[in-house]
Amino acid sequence: MSVARRLVGFNLFTACVLGVGGWYAGWFSAHAVVGPSLDYFADVDFNELSLVLGYIGGVLGFLIGLGFFNYPLARLRGYPPSLREKEQGGIGRYFSLCTDHKVVGIQYLVGIGLFFFIGGLNAMLIRTELLRPDHQVWPAGTYLTIVGIHGTMMMGMMTSGILGPFANYLIPILIGARRMAFPRIEALTFWLLMAAGVILETTIFFGGFPTGWTGYQPLGTEANPGIDCYYLFFALVGISMTLLGLNMIATIVTMRAPGLTWSRLPIFVWGVLSTAALMVLAAPVLIATLSMALMDRVVQTNFFVAAQGGSAYLYENLFWVFGHPEVYVLALPGFAIVLEILPVFARKPLWGYRLAVGGLLGVTLLSFFVWQHHLFFSGINADLRPFFMLSTELISIPTGLTFLCGMMTLWRGQIRYSVPMLFCLAWFFNFLIGGLSGVFLSDTPSDTTTHGSFFSMAHFHYTIMGGLVFTFFAGIYYWVPKMTGFQLNERLGKIHFWTMFVFFNLTFFPLFIAGFQGGMPRRVVTYPHGLQFLNDWVSVSAFLLGGSMLLFLYNFVKSLVFDRIPSPADPWGSKSIEWQLPSPVPVQNFDRIPVFSSDPYGYGEGGRPVVVPAGAPAGMN
Amino acid sequence: MTELAQPGADYSIVETEEPEVLSRNLFAAGQLLAGATAFFFLSFLFAYFYLRSLNNAGLWKPKHVDASVTWGTIVMACIVASAMLLRFGRIDHAAGRREAFRLKALVALLLGLAALVLQVLAWHEASFGPTDGGFASVYFGWTAFLFLFVFCTLFWLETVLATSWRYRNDPMGAAVVAPGHASGDPSRTAHDIRNPVELNRASLGALSFYWTFLAGIAVLTWIVLYLI
Repeated sequence: MSVARRLVGFNLFTACVLGVGGWYAGWFSAHAVVGPSLDYFADVDFNELSLVLGYIGGVLGFLIGLGFFNYPLARLRGYPPSLREKEQGGIGRYFSLCTDHKVVGIQYLVGIGLFFFIGGLNAMLIRTELLRPDHQVWPAGTYLTIVGIHGTMMMGMMTSGILGPFANYLIPILIGARRMAFPRIEALTFWLLMAAGVILETTIFFGGFPTGWTGYQPLGTEANPGIDCYYLFFALVGISMTLLGLNMIATIVTMRAPGLTWSRLPIFVWGVLSTAALMVLAAPVLIATLSMALMDRVVQTNFFVAAQGGSAYLYENLFWVFGHPEVYVLALPGFAIVLEILPVFARKPLWGYRLAVGGLLGVTLLSFFVWQHHLFFSGINADLRPFFMLSTELISIPTGLTFLCGMMTLWRGQIRYSVPMLFCLAWFFNFLIGGLSGVFLSDTPSDTTTHGSFFSMAHFHYTIMGGLVFTFFAGIYYWVPKMTGFQLNERLGKIHFWTMFVFFNLTFFPLFIAGFQGGMPRRVVTYPHGLQFLNDWVSVSAFLLGGSMLLFLYNFVKSLVFDRIPSPADPWGSKSIEWQLPSPVPVQNFDRIPVFSSDPYGYGEGGRPVVVPAGAPAGMN
Repeated sequence: MTELAQPGADYSIVETEEPEVLSRNLFAAGQLLAGATAFFFLSFLFAYFYLRSLNNAGLWKPKHVDASVTWGTIVMACIVASAMLLRFGRIDHAAGRREAFRLKALVALLLGLAALVLQVLAWHEASFGPTDGGFASVYFGWTAFLFLFVFCTLFWLETVLATSWRYRNDPMGAAVVAPGHASGDPSRTAHDIRNPVELNRASLGALSFYWTFLAGIAVLTWIVLYLI
């Protein structure tokens, strides 16, 4: 088939063409049609309106080009429901709307990986600027935009960092199903996220935004049009998160195979379930909040304009109602991966399974009651501080339970130090430091000196990067052989781990000192001269940390594209069901739905899998 | 060559999926969607009471700002009536009275559309615009998003109604749907779902639940924005 023939149809190429066309259509309609026709737009900056409608048109065009509107239109004409799209074979599936959960999982892995690297490059730019205390490579405004894109990209994209690739790929398999509950929605969540990522990057054409990842008011109301890209990005991420969470919960609740009772559910599935619950309930608050902010800018409502009857503080409250559960949306899947992988490499059953589940659910529940600790010094009623201090410190109890279960699983285990296990062990170290430093921030008196400084920045990098990104890599090294059928190079993997672990700590630990001792504030382009050595140390370490990521990329490409050494069916000796299927897994997963007779953690209880399929899985007969 | 997510299932031995699976999925999704919707509108409710209690610059609700109770009541009544009618229609559908269901669903759809048109008229007739203080912001933001949610739900209703109409002469019509329709796999020679048309019933169940829930939101909107 010729290249031209391949490009015609519903695929990424068409989507990009229609996306650009849609952008211009939206931009034009606001300029030429909508603006003059409505009186109350008279005071509105037409360019701003055009920008927002342009992006909305662009996203719609992008989705039309991918074929997302074909099914709703067919349904509108009365055709009955169907579960999946007609799918092309070959590599084209990865560049189009595909409803195979395994394809979507791999799309997520590559797509999120791409934006993760862009976010990482922004971090390198930040550290380049901070090599000198007052010399500016970029103007302060540009620096703030770089900080904002870095933070927003990481916080937005990585919400789906584990659920996107691993949960989409694995959840149906782990529960003995052939598909997600809503395969089209599954695909939609991915492509919405990609559209969002592109929108955020285009902020640089419209002056960027000065607010960091939180978009605080009144800075947001007064910022360049570039802030609209931030609002649209996060609103799309919110929609994607809500739909992803909904799909995950529906799948886990309704599609479990016979015998897979709640007490036999793999702990990874519990982690996904907890995270999905947070996504479904917290993300809509984000969407509503950012919609209000956009309306303030585009149609001049006054939700957050104090002089006109609104309140900037309303934004801060609503943002953190979403924002703190968001932190656990990032952290909980990391807990789940660690607890899932530890028994495999310690050759022991997961210790305290019910305690671990209780810990995950406890964190989920409590995370909705802590948001005001972000606002201790933003003007909240002082009488509220003790409650939010207490609730924040209470959350360390369920968190500690999961930590304890992990530690006890290691106790007297026959530990194999394979690459996934190394990343899990690093999680214990990193998250402990992140958790302990969090106590200083949750405690009102000590938060007086630490909030808004590099101390808090170091804290959340220890929890999010140390907690999430390390487990993300654990997941990659553990499951990519299953997803692709090829091994990743173990030696390069170990070098990647050690360089990443060492330089991660050399980068972020000194920042506690910079924040605590030097009082170095976040998002400020200059700093006291006395802190230059510390900052130079951090910058060099950060560059080397970035280098470790390149090492991973090299390993990934070398192993999967050039070496292509087939992976054994079960390279880790796991008893979980995904390792009983061929690698990579066939389209239908199972010919016959399996029947579960126990949980997957029966290590030391005989050598064979605990899952007894009713019929042979696909490809095994 | 090994291919990512390789096709390879022998379709002759893949079990067919029961319509009940989708029914359960849609039921769960309807409830989860209701939860997400509740949190979405809770944000506006929070904004309402927050800004009202602050009354910054005395501009919560300037004197000329007054949402018309008449318009609000009519819009809310249309939505509630539509939701109730669909519930009755669902009973007819379950009892096999498809003609009666289609009639009720059609009227429910028209009532919903009427609510949307009336909401546009209400905005047009309002004595204030979105720039007139805190209440005006909440009013326009809240009702605009309720409009959007109602519109999307009516789209869903139309699809259920259209399917019921298209297969009116063959309500159990697996025979009239192409093999592989449900899975989208053109290579299949047998049905992968026992009766794809029956999936419409599941869709109606979830739709009816969600539409009733949204009617509840409309009542809350009416109380908060028009009555208190």
